[in-house]
Amino acid sequence: MFDLFVAPLTETYFQKALIGGSIVAMVAGVVGCLVVLRRMAFLGDALSHAMIAGVAGGYLVMKLFFGLEAHAPGMLLGSLIAAVTTVALISFVSRISRVKEDTAIGIMYTGIFALGVVAVSIFRHYIHIDLMHFIMGDILGVADTDLWVSAFVAAGVLSLILLFFRHFQLSTFDPIMAASIGLPVVFLDYLFTTCVSLVVVSAVSMVGVILVVGLLITPAATAYLLSDRLDKMMMLAALFGVTSVIGGLYLCVWLDSAGGGAIMLFCTLQFLVVLTVAPKYGLLARWMRLRNLVPQQVVEDVLTTVLRNGKPASPDLIRKYAGEGKGLQKALRRMVQDGLLRHEGQDYSLTDKGEKEASIVLRAHRLWETYLKSIGTPEQEVHATAHQLEHLDQTQTLAYLDKKLGSPKTDPHGKTIPTK
Amino acid sequence: MTTDPPFAIEVSNLTVSYNARPALLDVSVRIEKDQLVGVIGPNGAGKSTFIKAILGFVKPDLGTVKIKGIHAKNAKGQVAYVPQRGAVDWDFPITVQEVALMGRYQQIAWYSSPCKKDRDAAMEALDMVRMANLAHRQIGELSGGQQQRVFMARALAQGSDILLLDEPFAGVDAATERAILDVLERAKKSGKTLVVVHHDLSTAAEYFDKLLLIKQRLYAYGEPDIVLQEDLLSQVYEGRLKIFKDVIKKERN
Repeated sequence: MFDLFVAPLTETYFQKALIGGSIVAMVAGVVGCLVVLRRMAFLGDALSHAMIAGVAGGYLVMKLFFGLEAHAPGMLLGSLIAAVTTVALISFVSRISRVKEDTAIGIMYTGIFALGVVAVSIFRHYIHIDLMHFIMGDILGVADTDLWVSAFVAAGVLSLILLFFRHFQLSTFDPIMAASIGLPVVFLDYLFTTCVSLVVVSAVSMVGVILVVGLLITPAATAYLLSDRLDKMMMLAALFGVTSVIGGLYLCVWLDSAGGGAIMLFCTLQFLVVLTVAPKYGLLARWMRLRNLVPQQVVEDVLTTVLRNGKPASPDLIRKYAGEGKGLQKALRRMVQDGLLRHEGQDYSLTDKGEKEASIVLRAHRLWETYLKSIGTPEQEVHATAHQLEHLDQTQTLAYLDKKLGSPKTDPHGKTIPTK
Repeated sequence: MTTDPPFAIEVSNLTVSYNARPALLDVSVRIEKDQLVGVIGPNGAGKSTFIKAILGFVKPDLGTVKIKGIHAKNAKGQVAYVPQRGAVDWDFPITVQEVALMGRYQQIAWYSSPCKKDRDAAMEALDMVRMANLAHRQIGELSGGQQQRVFMARALAQGSDILLLDEPFAGVDAATERAILDVLERAKKSGKTLVVVHHDLSTAAEYFDKLLLIKQRLYAYGEPDIVLQEDLLSQVYEGRLKIFKDVIKKERN
């Protein structure tokens, strides 16, 4: 046990991966919440792919003009410029032409990615970037400069989001109102896109172009299933991001697998677990809700059966009038839980609450009978039709019937109509 | 002492288009204060665009909008807005109380957090629409009418004198429609001007003081009996007039 958990922690590469990964995952989770809510997941993908052109450009410029080899800040700046250019091109194309935004994203990011790939291969004698390294990432080989870059990016982006939390919340939730109270909506959009680009750029060296979008949206989507407030969602997303990195790194050491892949695998598993067990929006909760659903009609039939009986009714009697089957057992159990029925030995009797609801339904039934009779419905159909009509939701209709019939005291069979 | 400008909203020569398709053409209208104004017209007539242009959310190709005599660009926050129900993301992680609190955002400086006064104002607005007891619910868990009322509370919390509502009566039952109308009338009594996009011609005359009939162009603005003229409606609604004849008859009696 000790070896499994503590031994990796003593290795420098593991410590760096843990620190760098956690920082990146935390800020990616927070920013990802807004990405998910703005339905921009595809854009995150686009940004990460566009970066390769920026990295190549930055590398070339620094090398040709300043003679610096693999200058990290230069490449970072280059990828940022590439990302923002991509976004600008996307919104330009989708605004002025009939091409829709998702198509525009697809065109622009593959185009700029291709530009990057071509540039890297043409200048392969000058540019010493391993494309595979870029595409897959290498979290176990994180350099100190990468750590510093991601720390600064995280600090900057997190302070922006915290400081302008309300602005981002409102412009995401209701951009029209945001504009109407004078928030600079377009500027906020660009500011946010820049934040996403920064996060993507700082994360790519660790998990690679393909997986970075997962780090952005999966923890956020996991948190989305658990929270009804944006601030809580952001905190949870940050937490899930960090746990993915920790879990994924151990997985990668134990299985001796690729680092980025292990992290995203753990992150996805985490999402699937939450999707299953989330208390409100989870699959299990949904299944339980559906299972506990009892048709209102059965409930009402049971209520009136017991009320008509006048004394505690046996299960057999209820079955005779309110229908057969497993559904009835479930309904009876549920009604006892809800405080409508009470056990009396083997039999069931109405609680006060149950009696009140039962007399409402019975009143509906008998008023309908009176009305049906008054419009000349044949004797043998009166009961059956009223039995159907009594289940409608109908406070106003009943008030109307009552008034129209002159508030009758008894139904056509001479039975008392319960008062309200 | 300065005198108040007589008009709440002045729109002149407003033209808005999406790509090549015009949504509004040369609309000029002046809306007086303390009125409950209904905006009517067929689907795609530019009713929502009209509202968005007043809010300054869509940029007009031509024309100007003035709010209480001030150019709309400089009158941000003077107009509160209740969105169409279909335009809201009801799965958004936000509670009823937080939505109402948004009405106060323009009063809160960017560097500070909402204080107790803001929270109280939000709760008070929720109280006005009788939603205070559901303050901690997520907005997707409410019924249609309740959802509408939450956004009305947000608009009231803004404290603006002018309220714009986009189809508040769409998809709610008769009792809820009454309840919403009740809130609108109370808001009017407290000195607010309300502009409401409405789709049901049969209730238009009963609900509103003034009607505004648009289909790209402005066809009429004035008292309901002036606007609900057979020839006007037949121009706007084309061929579907039979139903409206009854409406007009009802209006005459």
